[in-house]
Amino acid sequence: MIKRWKLLTAVFAVLALVAGACGGDDAGSDTTVAPTTTTQATTTTTVADTTTTTAASGDTTTTTAPPVVRADADLVIWADDTRTPVIRPFAEAFGADNGLTVAVQELGSGDIRDRLITADPAGEGPDIIVGAHDWLGQLVANGVVAPIDIADISDTFSDVAVSAFTYEGKTYGVPYAVESIALIRNTDLVPTAPATFEELETIALGLRDDGTVTVPLALQENGNGDPFHNYPLVTALGGYVFGSPELGYDPNDLGLDSPGGLKAAEAFGAWSESGLVNIDVTYDVMLDSFGSGDAPFAITGPWAVSSFGDVNYVVEPIPPVQGGTPAPFVGVQGFMVATNAANPLIAETFLLDVMAGEEAQLALYEAGNRAPANLAAFAVASEDPDVQGFGLSSANGFPMPAIPEMGSVWSAWTDAYELIFTGTDPQTAFKDAAAQIRNLIAGG
Amino acid sequence: MTGTDLKQEETRRVESRRVSFGLGLGVKLLFLAAVNALAVFGLPRMIEEKAWLFAAFTVVATLSLDWIYLSSKGATLPLKYLIPGTILLLVFQVWPVLSTAYIAFTNYGTGNVFTFDQALDKILEDSTFPQDDDPRLDAKPLAIVDGELIGEIALYLVDEAGVEFLGTADGLEELAVEDVVLDGDRVVGVGDYEVLGLAQVSDLQEEYSSLEIPAGENKLIKLTRGVSGASLVSPTLEYDSDTGTLTDLTTGVVYEQVEGTFTAPSGEEIAPGWRAIIGFDNFTKVLTNESIRGPFVRVFIWTFVFAIGSVFFTFIVGLGLAITLNQPEMKGQRVYRSLLIIPYALPSFLSALIWAGLLNQEFGVINEFLNLDIPWLRDQWMAKVSVLLVNTWLGFPYMFLISTGALQAIPDNLKEAAAIDGATSRQAFRQVTLPLLLVSLAPLLIASFAFNFNNFNTIFLLNKGGPPIAGAQTPAGHTDILISYTYRLAFESGRGADFGLAAGIGILIFMIVATISAISFKRTAVFEEINQ
Repeated sequence: MIKRWKLLTAVFAVLALVAGACGGDDAGSDTTVAPTTTTQATTTTTVADTTTTTAASGDTTTTTAPPVVRADADLVIWADDTRTPVIRPFAEAFGADNGLTVAVQELGSGDIRDRLITADPAGEGPDIIVGAHDWLGQLVANGVVAPIDIADISDTFSDVAVSAFTYEGKTYGVPYAVESIALIRNTDLVPTAPATFEELETIALGLRDDGTVTVPLALQENGNGDPFHNYPLVTALGGYVFGSPELGYDPNDLGLDSPGGLKAAEAFGAWSESGLVNIDVTYDVMLDSFGSGDAPFAITGPWAVSSFGDVNYVVEPIPPVQGGTPAPFVGVQGFMVATNAANPLIAETFLLDVMAGEEAQLALYEAGNRAPANLAAFAVASEDPDVQGFGLSSANGFPMPAIPEMGSVWSAWTDAYELIFTGTDPQTAFKDAAAQIRNLIAGG
Repeated sequence: MTGTDLKQEETRRVESRRVSFGLGLGVKLLFLAAVNALAVFGLPRMIEEKAWLFAAFTVVATLSLDWIYLSSKGATLPLKYLIPGTILLLVFQVWPVLSTAYIAFTNYGTGNVFTFDQALDKILEDSTFPQDDDPRLDAKPLAIVDGELIGEIALYLVDEAGVEFLGTADGLEELAVEDVVLDGDRVVGVGDYEVLGLAQVSDLQEEYSSLEIPAGENKLIKLTRGVSGASLVSPTLEYDSDTGTLTDLTTGVVYEQVEGTFTAPSGEEIAPGWRAIIGFDNFTKVLTNESIRGPFVRVFIWTFVFAIGSVFFTFIVGLGLAITLNQPEMKGQRVYRSLLIIPYALPSFLSALIWAGLLNQEFGVINEFLNLDIPWLRDQWMAKVSVLLVNTWLGFPYMFLISTGALQAIPDNLKEAAAIDGATSRQAFRQVTLPLLLVSLAPLLIASFAFNFNNFNTIFLLNKGGPPIAGAQTPAGHTDILISYTYRLAFESGRGADFGLAAGIGILIFMIVATISAISFKRTAVFEEINQ
């Protein structure tokens, strides 16, 4: 009898451990959200960037536990910590003018998407979220965002902003910012812009070899490999992630193992060997080294420039690599309306009448340094040389793919870079990654 | 019974009640009050959410608790001990397990988060989204307002040619100039209708957003840009509730319901799908899908090596230290014991992250201090060693604690007897102490195995399962165990999150662990015979 009891207790103990381990499957519980959150932060590099940006830009607000439930107000907006203080006065003025209550709730940038996916079907989501265009694939597949008709104001935005928020023929957001990475050059260390990437390489390695700097090129790889930041160098050599970017990307045309992609793999192998590119450069190492004059060049985005301190720098497009023009991913930020919004008409009115306008877009630009999507606001902002430089760089690029298949790319490609940096044959690494991605896409 | 007897009986009862009216009863009533308050607080919400099962459970659980603890009948005494535990077991064990099992048979995940009704609504709503060349109209929300009451709603519309209309659910009506009420040049009403402010619209937003003004065959006008813009649109999809199919009105293609998604014969799908039961698909996918099965065997083997290795090393180190510190001649036992428990006292996710930093090849303290260049986390074999090393560090204090306890429970006279019989101290340990230890420790070792089998924290936080396996069919790492590989597969590699697949693999893992545990427990019965 005693033995039977022991066995039973043991089975329950095991049950407990397993249940603890897969508790994340339990829909609706808080644990569900936690693991997914981590996923997104690691998968989509841009999201990670946005988070680190705000942390690094001296914004000391720590994100408190995000609210699960929508606030009790007529109009509820979910925004990240950089955008929340900017949107709040506009939302409050709109509410006061029209006799409505508004609430702007602050969430971690990666949390917004994942919370929306669980909260919207439960009717506990917001009316409006602030996010990036490359979330659309997942959000539309889940059905949690509603299309918004911006046809009559689309000519007040840059073309790339509108096309980024167009998904399967419908527009899903009011864009407010366009961003991409570019080359940042320390003008004290390197007074004249290198005309080619090869020249850049010579200068950078020269400065390292004579002991002036320790990091020749501050290109973040985060300890594994960073497909997002490496992408302009890949495209310059003829590689690409998916074909037909101008048509919203073709998931059947994967370009990692195209001749250009393999050429890029070889190039990364060589750069890793010469020390130009280093796997151990993280976002913080990039900021520290460039900000302290210990790196002559950095490749990063507008979120980082405010953290560079007193260094004299200039922002410019990355010079041609072996004659090819680097085309970075362009990210577009915008406002989206949730499908089960409690107040979709008011939400649309607020976005079209207030947030799409020049005044709001300029305020958002000042908070985040990203070039405004609104053309009138951009005209004002582009007097800033940084905005000009990033603008020239993003003019060469295409919006980052929003298609859900992109979710299968990140971890496989990151692994491939890590393998190259740790000595695997570069071509094999990219070919294997391409095979993995095709497997994942086929497996659904 | 006489009157005096009755009176005496009554006094006795009152007295006994007075006696029991002490602290215990107060605490009991306080607890019961808290439980009841919680139930009263939660019930309306559950009913609002239509969570009938939870609501029923809450009512039954609360009432039975009240009855059991307030009843003076002796019959409820055993229940006082049984019921609270049973309720907690149901809530924290049985429910999550059942819910995981249920999800394993559904397609819940990216693309299938809505209910069927939500998905259908969404699809039909999207099919009326204006195309680029659909005519746009300016709009103002109208309603007949009678004091506080807002009656019939309508829209004031102006088309691109400047013609004004009144739009109601019945249709369009072209307006004459005198119908429009102006304040200056601002339109404030149409006939009996008044233009509403946004606050009033907000109260009626359901009515306004579902207002569809018929405008010719398969054409309608609806608000598409807040309340100030409408469009003349033609819905592209029609739902047939008899067959449960969607028909594309422009191409004639019929979409049928296939596993939670409207699917055309060509395989084309309409997003979003909905949560549907899909039978054993998640399980067959794990067992048959080539891309999932690829690295599975390697991961499976390493999971066992990791779990067994972790138990073995933590136990050896823990037991060794326990024996050492159990020697009576040892000085400063308390200090050592307190120090040894530190790794156990720190949150393991924090320790794992710190270890990841320490083991960093370029900047890590360990390489720097030893002046070495060991790829602790980047070489596949070193990474495996590092993972086991760190997990041993994290786990040995637990083994140390339980071993110390078990050692102290072994009577000294047994060891003395062994010594008198001429056994060496090694023989005494192997043949007396160790078997006795294992009687009490074996179940804990099995539990530790089950825990490490699913030790996601150490694996994921230390190295994310890396370094990557070159040439694997799907992204996988050399130190990935089943649970971290599941996480990659279900949440990191696909279109988003696949809760159904994750739950399916979770159940398979449970079966493996449960089987192994059951067999092991049977076997530990061998040790117990020593006791008899």
